[in-house]
Amino acid sequence: MTTYALQKVDHSALKTNQIMIILFNTIGFILNVPWLAVLVAVVMGLGALLKVPGFGFLYKYVLKPWGWVKPDVLDDNPEPHRFAQFLGFVFMTAGSIALFLGAAVLGWSLVWLVSVLAALNAFGGFCVGCAVYYWLGRIKVPGFIKQPPAGTFPGMRPSRS
Amino acid sequence: MADIILWRLALAVGLMAGGVGLYWLSNRWLLRRAHNSIGDLLPNHSRTPVLVYFTTPTCVPCKTVQRPAIEKVRGMLGETFQIVEIDATERPDLARRWGVMSVPTTFVLDAQGNARYVNNGVARADKLLKQIQAV
Repeated sequence: MTTYALQKVDHSALKTNQIMIILFNTIGFILNVPWLAVLVAVVMGLGALLKVPGFGFLYKYVLKPWGWVKPDVLDDNPEPHRFAQFLGFVFMTAGSIALFLGAAVLGWSLVWLVSVLAALNAFGGFCVGCAVYYWLGRIKVPGFIKQPPAGTFPGMRPSRS
Repeated sequence: MADIILWRLALAVGLMAGGVGLYWLSNRWLLRRAHNSIGDLLPNHSRTPVLVYFTTPTCVPCKTVQRPAIEKVRGMLGETFQIVEIDATERPDLARRWGVMSVPTTFVLDAQGNARYVNNGVARADKLLKQIQAV
């Protein structure tokens, strides 16, 4: 088994992204504004494309410089988090399309699913998309080469070293 | 219009409360599971609080943070509690039975062997101290 070096991943940026996703999705649902779901989908898609947390710019340019959120840098693999964001983008896009086609229950259910998984990651420390990434790696799907950090259950947030 | 927004707000709050409830239940389930496994781990339980500490040989934070924290608590409380260290790579059956998904994971058991606290990830000395003193 090949081992790859872990990188420094700022989990505060990831958490900010997750909380913003939950916030926009919840406001969109309460006010019944599907455009907010579209906005989240676009930001997540751009994030996946640029290999950064979609709403990470808020952390980078506002929350961190102003000292409102402190960095939480851990030894981790960034790839599973990018994959998780891409999965979120796919679900948000599907949800947005459903909303604009009039399938409100399906659309908002998909939006809520993304929010629930973001909450599980932000507050429970478990990244379902990352777990899927590691699982795909275990069944030797090409491109999914990273292993979870030593002593960490696949998808769980690594401990601070 | 306002009615619909209020209804959706109530639904959102309900869903969130449900999520929090599920999280709480899963934590309770983990503690109950630990309680049911106490017999396998401590057949001769000495009626003192127990700190069950799951680790692995490759776990860096276990060596650099968790172990010193446990030793610090041991230094402060002496022999008033028992420490049980488990290598999850040697005893995957125990790790599975206790629902351990990452290391370090620590459980604090009271004198009756009831699991009262679970810490997923590093638990600092002050936190462990409070938990052990509380049981």
